[in-house]
Amino acid sequence: MKQKVLVIINEIRAAKSLGPVAELKEETRLREDLSLTSFDLAELTVKIEDEFDIDIFEDGLVNTVGEIIEKLSK
Amino acid sequence: MVFLYDAETYSYEELLNAISGSGEYCPLFKSKELFPYFANLVKALAAGMPLILIDSDINASEIDGVSEEDINVKKRFEAKYYSSMDDVVAALQQSQSEITIFTSGTTGQPKKVVHSISTLTRAVRQGKRYAGQIWAYAYNPTHMAGLQVFFQAFENQNTLVNVFGKAREEVYQQILDKQITHISATPTFYRLLLPFEKSYESVVRVTLGGEKSDQHLYDAIGRIFPNAKINNVYASTEAGSLFAAKGDCFQIPETIRDKFKVVDDELLIHKSLLGSSESFHFSDDFYHSGDLIEWVDKEAGLFRFKSRKNELINVGGYKVNPGEVENAIMEIDCVRQALVYGKANSILGNVLCADVQLEEGFALTELEIKKFLASQLQDFKIPRRIKFVEEMSLTRTGKLKRS
Repeated sequence: MKQKVLVIINEIRAAKSLGPVAELKEETRLREDLSLTSFDLAELTVKIEDEFDIDIFEDGLVNTVGEIIEKLSK
Repeated sequence: MVFLYDAETYSYEELLNAISGSGEYCPLFKSKELFPYFANLVKALAAGMPLILIDSDINASEIDGVSEEDINVKKRFEAKYYSSMDDVVAALQQSQSEITIFTSGTTGQPKKVVHSISTLTRAVRQGKRYAGQIWAYAYNPTHMAGLQVFFQAFENQNTLVNVFGKAREEVYQQILDKQITHISATPTFYRLLLPFEKSYESVVRVTLGGEKSDQHLYDAIGRIFPNAKINNVYASTEAGSLFAAKGDCFQIPETIRDKFKVVDDELLIHKSLLGSSESFHFSDDFYHSGDLIEWVDKEAGLFRFKSRKNELINVGGYKVNPGEVENAIMEIDCVRQALVYGKANSILGNVLCADVQLEEGFALTELEIKKFLASQLQDFKIPRRIKFVEEMSLTRTGKLKRS
């Protein structure tokens, strides 16, 4: 699951001409560490929803990779 | 003289025989067959009888005020006798019939609009110079565009070749076989004819309507039909035909310029130009057309359509015109058709998505499309999720299905 999220994040970064991230840590912050804008986060939610059928932002902001994994594990 | 080529061939003689001396018609006729539909239509109009036009596949429950038991019920009237088709055309032109048509219902329930022959045939040109034309009939016959083409062809006793809903190969076959001279259809129809493989010399006029088109498409059409003049028409279910086209621009005729207003880029039309409908809401006698325009030359009344108002997608506070993004995607050579739409999203309100149909045998990645668009468009206009599809869905009136 973490691997799939990594693939999606790297797809988003590639479109912005940013290099791929090698691995994701629990405390990695989406905006500050991965340089994702709100548009990127929107894309992230749509693609994660396509894959896992869960809207991770449904009940509030998600700031770190750890929080994404938590929502997907429910 | 052939009237209609469909599964069978029908002459004007046969049409005349179907109408003359008959005192029976269906006010609410539902049929999958084009000839009986037209015969019923012409018979009723020539005799001044009222008609309600419904799609061949509609369910009465989908339309307010139409009940299943009234469909295809025959009604009697005083039979008229016509000695020639000229007499029928003349009778039709002076008809006082009330003709009820419905919008295609893309935004909810179909809306009912009542027209007269005068509002329905405002743009028809009749005369010797229009004789002998052979039309590809590419519209739904129960809606405004299909009626516009029908009346233009019928009043000049031209030939119609039914290609509505037909596959690409068959359309080309008919163009060649019947030596079609005139085609009037939606941009979506023409895109389905791409890519260019060979040219067809018989076509002298290509008309586009119903959707916004683009230069890329005009260029492609120009290659497939090298002898054709290309023009646009604007006709709505509410108003019929209103403007003359000048390339991809339209011009408001000087004589009726006071019947139009533009407020917040939206075209407003005076009620005197419309058919009648309970669903029309007027602000100071003006109707909101829902079409957003931009002036090319305000003094001369020259303008261009930008988009439908309700098609604009709000993405993170930015309003995106899906047509503009679709055109950009279709600049890519191997893309046949693109549909851009919004998907509800908790962060941005809507996320911009695109369905892309590629030409056969080609491959393209989402990343390649995004990189290309980044050189053409601002960031917020770039679709974030791109799916590759085999086919596009169309509405009842042959336009791209947007919801």
